[in-house]
This record gives sequence, C-alpha cells and structure tokens, in this order.
Amino acid sequence: MTTKRKVGLGLGIYVGVIAIFLAIFGSGQKNDVYKPQNEFKLDAWFSIGPFDFTKATMYVLIAAILMCVTMVYVARRMQQRPNRVQTLVEVAFSLMRDNITKANMSSTEAAKWFPFVGALFLFIWFSNMLGYIPLPTNSEEKINVFGAHIPSFALYAATANLSIPLSLSLLVWIIYNAVGIKRKGPKGYILSFIPAGVPGFLTPFILGLELMSNFMRLISLSVRLFANILAGHLIILFMGGALVVLLGVEALGIVTFPLAVALFMFEVALVATLQAFIFATLTAIYLGGATADHH
Amino acid sequence: MLALITLAAGETATKTEAGGSFLVKPGIGLMVWTLLIFGTSMAVLYKLAFPAIAEALDKRQKAIDDAIASADRSKAESEALLAEYRERLKEARAQADEIVSKARKSGDEVERHAAEVGQARRDELIEQAKKDIEGETRRAIGEIRNEVASLTVAATEKVTRKTLTAEDQKRLVEDALGELDFSSLGERSN
Repeated sequence: MTTKRKVGLGLGIYVGVIAIFLAIFGSGQKNDVYKPQNEFKLDAWFSIGPFDFTKATMYVLIAAILMCVTMVYVARRMQQRPNRVQTLVEVAFSLMRDNITKANMSSTEAAKWFPFVGALFLFIWFSNMLGYIPLPTNSEEKINVFGAHIPSFALYAATANLSIPLSLSLLVWIIYNAVGIKRKGPKGYILSFIPAGVPGFLTPFILGLELMSNFMRLISLSVRLFANILAGHLIILFMGGALVVLLGVEALGIVTFPLAVALFMFEVALVATLQAFIFATLTAIYLGGATADHH
Repeated sequence: MLALITLAAGETATKTEAGGSFLVKPGIGLMVWTLLIFGTSMAVLYKLAFPAIAEALDKRQKAIDDAIASADRSKAESEALLAEYRERLKEARAQADEIVSKARKSGDEVERHAAEVGQARRDELIEQAKKDIEGETRRAIGEIRNEVASLTVAATEKVTRKTLTAEDQKRLVEDALGELDFSSLGERSN
C-alpha cells in the first residue's frame, strides 16, 4: 500500500470515528454558564497590607523557589564530569552568559549585568514552565475527596497575567534608561537616540520617533511575553475541552484533544524557552545600547 | 507612567469586567509581589548560584586548556623523541652495517689464516708421516734381512746337514739377499 493510500485510509477512519461519536452522543446545547476566562481569574487568598496574595503570586513564588533551589543545588554540587541536570544547567548558564549577555555588550558590562539578565531569563523560564504543570489551583471548580473540597487541577501561568511581564519590563526599562542617563548625561543620552548621518532638519522628527520607539519597548516587551503565554494557554484550554463544553458537542473532542496534546508539546518544547530567551536577549540589547559609546 | 497604564486599564476594565478584562488589567499588588520575589531570587542566585557555577565552568575550561596544552607539549616531546629515535636507529643501522662488514672481513681473514695454518699443519703431518713410513720401512727391511739370513742359514744347514762357517753364512746371506728385490717397498714408502 502506498503512503498516499495509507494517509487517506487513516483520515477516512478518523472522520468515520468522529461521525460515529457524533451519532452516539449527538449535539447538546450550548453552555452559557462556563466562562473559560475565569480559569485566569485571580481571587485574593489573603492580603498583606494593600497587596493581595493570589494564585499568580503563588505561581511566581513557586517558580522563584524552584529556580533558586535548582540553581543553588546544582551550583553546590558542580562536578568535573557533569550529570544530565548539571549539563542542562551549564548549557543554560552558557546561553545566558555568552549568547545573551556577552553577545550584546562589552565584556566589562556583561560581567556587571549578567546576574540581572540571567536571573530574568531563569525567572521567566521557570514561570513559563511551571505553567504547563497541572496544579490544584482552580478555585472556581472543586473536587470532593471524602468531603474535602479540593481545587481542581488546572494549567495556569503567572506570565499569562499582564502584571508580571509588565513589572519585569518596567524594571528593565527604568534600569537601562537610568544607566544610559548616568553614563552619558540626560542630554547626551537623549541625543544618542539620533542615528548617525541624519540630516539636521530631520533630527527633531527622528528624535521624536526614537523616543516613542523607546517608550514602546516597554509595551512590546511586556505584551509579547504576556500575549504568547496567554494565547498558548487559551488554545490548550479550548482544544483540551473548553470548546466541547461551550458548544456542547462531545464528538468534537476527538478532533480537538489530539490538537491540545500537540499544542501543549509545542508550547513546552519551544514557546516557554523562546519567550524567556527573547525577553532576556532584548534586555541585554537595551542595556548594551544604553551603555555603548555610540548609538 | 505605571499609574497611567493601570488607570487606563482600570477604566477599560470597569466597562468590560464581565468579558474577562482582568486578563489585561495590571494589578499593583501582583507587580510589587513580582518585583519583590524577583529581587530576592536574583540576590540568591547572585550570591549562591552564579559564582559557583561560573567558577566550576572556568575551572573546567582551564583544565581543558591545560589538558590541550599538555597534549600539545606531549605531542611535541613525542615528535622530538621519535626524531631522535629515528636518528639513533639510523646510526645504529650504520653501526650494524659497519660491524657486519668488519665481521665479514674478520671472518674472511680468520678463514684465510685458518686455511693457511691448516695447510701448513697438513704439510707438516704429511712430511712427518713420510719420515715415519721411511723409518718403519727401513726397520722392516732390516728385520726381513735378518729373518732371510736366519732362514737361509737354517735351510742350508738342514739341506747340507753340516754346520756352516761364518764365511759361508755370509756368502749365502748375501746371495739370498741379492736375489730379493726391496725396491718396491722403498717406492711404496716414498
């Protein structure tokens, strides 16, 4: 049998199974009660002064603890012949130090800023990865285990909440601008935005564009991370069952669930690391630009 | 600026709260928590993790550099040793060839000398043998003469039944010996 016929046969069987399921379970009514966005809703668990402790705070805390424990544990057991975990940490360390930090600024500046850039990369990476581990954090839906109402398991990422990428972006934005101003002086720093070779009459226009571009970095840096992680989680949520629940078509699960698994793997294998890498790299580029002698 | 963003998002949020606007509404509390946790964890990494990892990596890098340098040195030493060994081998081969040549010459000389000595010894032995044979031949001839004389006298006395005088005996012996030919013995002894 040729590959073409095999693929055709496979698709035929797949469509046939969907048709059978559709015939058995039929089409139910639309579910107006279930709100998928509530999976990301943050309820205050307790408050310390004006600051609420929410699910997102807990995820950030767990990610930070995991990051510190893993890195310190590995750092204290560094061997001349590394095991798999140490190899992974070393690869991440070299990526952060050499490919992200050193590649975008001078060696002196890289040595100075590596702890910040490296910590950012790891913090975002651990937060992203933690978002793909099902944890009992869904306070909307609860499971009754021998009378105890335990929150149901859910996929939630702290970075899928705008506050977290925004706070980190704001920190980066303030730091690199402050460093630039300190290094070149306020006037020198602002003038450093004007690219070399711009004709005099275009200078104000270009400067305005560059300053706006500088401000937009804050938004692009935070929204890129937030939107990617939120979109990934939403699509996994919808493919994993939310669409079936909302439309009331159970047979649709045959189509959507394999897609959910594939998307989950795609998010874990690529998006989580890629977004951390992009955030850290852009931070290093911005810091490198602010500390460089010329624009 | 942060307050402006929050305010703007907050205003939008009040209008569309039911539609999930909380997804894009920044929360000051969460932002402060995030910065606090991030700052603390960065300090932990800066103090306890990064220096140790960097030190271990640098140490390994140094070990690798040292190992490469050592390997280069060993290679250079090996090459020098190999060159020296080859040179010595060449010298040893030349010496061996010389020794073999000398040995061959010496062997030829010894062989030639041995042949000469052997030849001289053989000649000497042959000469000695000739002398011995001649002496023995003479002694044998003498004995034969005496025996012939005795036999001749005894035979004559038996035939004539008388005792021969000394003069007769001498004449008879000389006649008998005169009839005998010892020349073949003399030739053979030669």
